[in-house]
Amino acid sequence: MELTIAGVRTRLGGRWVIDGIDATPPTGHLTGLLGPNGAGKTTLLRLVAGLLVPEVGAVLVGSGGASPVPVHTLGRRARARRIALLEQESASTVPLTVREVVALGRIPYRTLWGADPGDGAVDRALAHARADHLADRPWSDLSGGERQRVHIARALAQEPELLLLDEPTNHLDVSAQLSLLAFVRDLAVTAVAALHDLNLAAAFCEHVLVLSDGRLAAAGHPRDVLSPDLIRRVYGVDCDVLTHPRTGRPVIAFAEPLATPARAGETG
Amino acid sequence: MDRTPWRPSLTVLVAAGLAVLVATMAVTVTVGPADIDVADVARSISGHLRIGGWFGQRAGGAGDDGVPRLVDAIVWELRLPRVLTAAAVGAGLALAGAVMQSLTRNSLADPYLLGLSSGASLGAVAVLVVGVGLLLPVAAFAGALLALVATLSLARTGGILTPGRAVLAGLAISQLCAAGTSFVIFWTATGDSYREILSWLMGSLAGATWSSVAISGVALLAVGAVLLAAAGRLDAFAFGDTSAAALGIDVERTRWTLLTLVALLTGAMVAVSGAIGFVGLVLPHAVSVVTGPGHRRLLPVAALCGAAFLVWADTLARTVFDPRELPVGIITALIGVPVFAVLLRRGRGAAWS
Repeated sequence: MELTIAGVRTRLGGRWVIDGIDATPPTGHLTGLLGPNGAGKTTLLRLVAGLLVPEVGAVLVGSGGASPVPVHTLGRRARARRIALLEQESASTVPLTVREVVALGRIPYRTLWGADPGDGAVDRALAHARADHLADRPWSDLSGGERQRVHIARALAQEPELLLLDEPTNHLDVSAQLSLLAFVRDLAVTAVAALHDLNLAAAFCEHVLVLSDGRLAAAGHPRDVLSPDLIRRVYGVDCDVLTHPRTGRPVIAFAEPLATPARAGETG
Repeated sequence: MDRTPWRPSLTVLVAAGLAVLVATMAVTVTVGPADIDVADVARSISGHLRIGGWFGQRAGGAGDDGVPRLVDAIVWELRLPRVLTAAAVGAGLALAGAVMQSLTRNSLADPYLLGLSSGASLGAVAVLVVGVGLLLPVAAFAGALLALVATLSLARTGGILTPGRAVLAGLAISQLCAAGTSFVIFWTATGDSYREILSWLMGSLAGATWSSVAISGVALLAVGAVLLAAAGRLDAFAFGDTSAAALGIDVERTRWTLLTLVALLTGAMVAVSGAIGFVGLVLPHAVSVVTGPGHRRLLPVAALCGAAFLVWADTLARTVFDPRELPVGIITALIGVPVFAVLLRRGRGAAWS
């Protein structure tokens, strides 16, 4: 799906949380959404998902040569068949099995009488996300990595053209982080993932959008964008950017933080 | 994989539920001080419905031949309306409870959560004690609706409506109505009206008539049909509002439409039977052990089980201390609390922590 974010501004509680963003994440690739806490990553994802309507500008989606339309003008169900969102904290008190969780992704396809025309879509999604061995387990018994794998399967059951992920690697061990992002990168679906770990973004993303106070501080390939200067400006940390000996991708080596109040007191 | 839940098909569950419910009603109508058997019941019913020919009875008025007039009156005027009302109220409360638990994402939600039962009680007590010139079901229903409106208005002040705010507002309105009820009783009640009030507050089907059947039955069929049609959408709420919205659900509209419908259903049930506790709280949990949490399976089965459960509970209530009657709320609590304890022990409490 072709995605264009065109001059989007929106307020939450009177503050311009997203304050004029223009961006075109590359179609069919994984884009990393970076920026410190409160920079507007989650809000931007919600705007792209069509769950919030921007006050100014529009998020345009198009596919197969069709002329792009603002995402919030799509019907709810039509939108849910094309865009899937993985939330940051996604827990449930309902005692569901893994298969039932994945079947939630079929809700946008169900007819009024509850029939699902996409026969076997749940099984395909489970197999694709390599979660089929978990199918009959209670969701509450899974580890963090397994849960995230199941959420991916649920998103795949929606058969989306655009996949949005809000900090999908939170609380995962290193191996789960790497396999999750490699999986999303190789899906050949347009994907946007909010990430905290700059090294993960540098390793897996084709494109990164760096947000700072609701504005776009930089956009482009991680190699071109993730410079010590930008990271100092946006995150307030000193770092060196090295080159990964195997992949040639940038690796960010952080130095001590720039004067935080406590440090300043000690040294001053 | 050793923990794969065993889940029979919906058709099997509904067929079994229907069979149990029909058998329950057939048996419980014959239970009581008067010696009546199933054939008497069938003859009385066919006589009233003017479907002659069964059991060799000619079409016409009831009790013409075959069924003694007294037996016919007991069946047709007393026990049948009572059993049917119990079934409708039980089904309605179980449905309302299941939907409420899903909409508020709160396992401890019950149909009375938004202050409905206390509002209805206040309305009913006002009629019983003060003698406000209204029919009791009308007053109870009006009380329930007023409490609902008060709860939702309170929840809406100074912010958006969230389930959490609605629950807190419901709690406040409940307390207010309960205080009002206590005050009315304290100030005015004497002797006989005391017992009548108490039985109403505990929930009782003793006063069931054919109009009770009509009120509860129509409410159940009309609202129940909509709730069943919305069952699939309720599943989408499992991971919260944003997740439901991302699955194409109009979260706000769905939540408030269904909450209002549940409130109307509950109001109608409270109007005919008083506030019968535990059916709406415990039954959905117990039923979901067998059906799983999917609402398209849970809702119809919970309704059938709720109906059968309340019919039996009411039969116990009117026979255990015969000729004295217990309020059926005492029976549902006596059964409901141990069931709840068992569910907690079975580890379902993990999801409730």
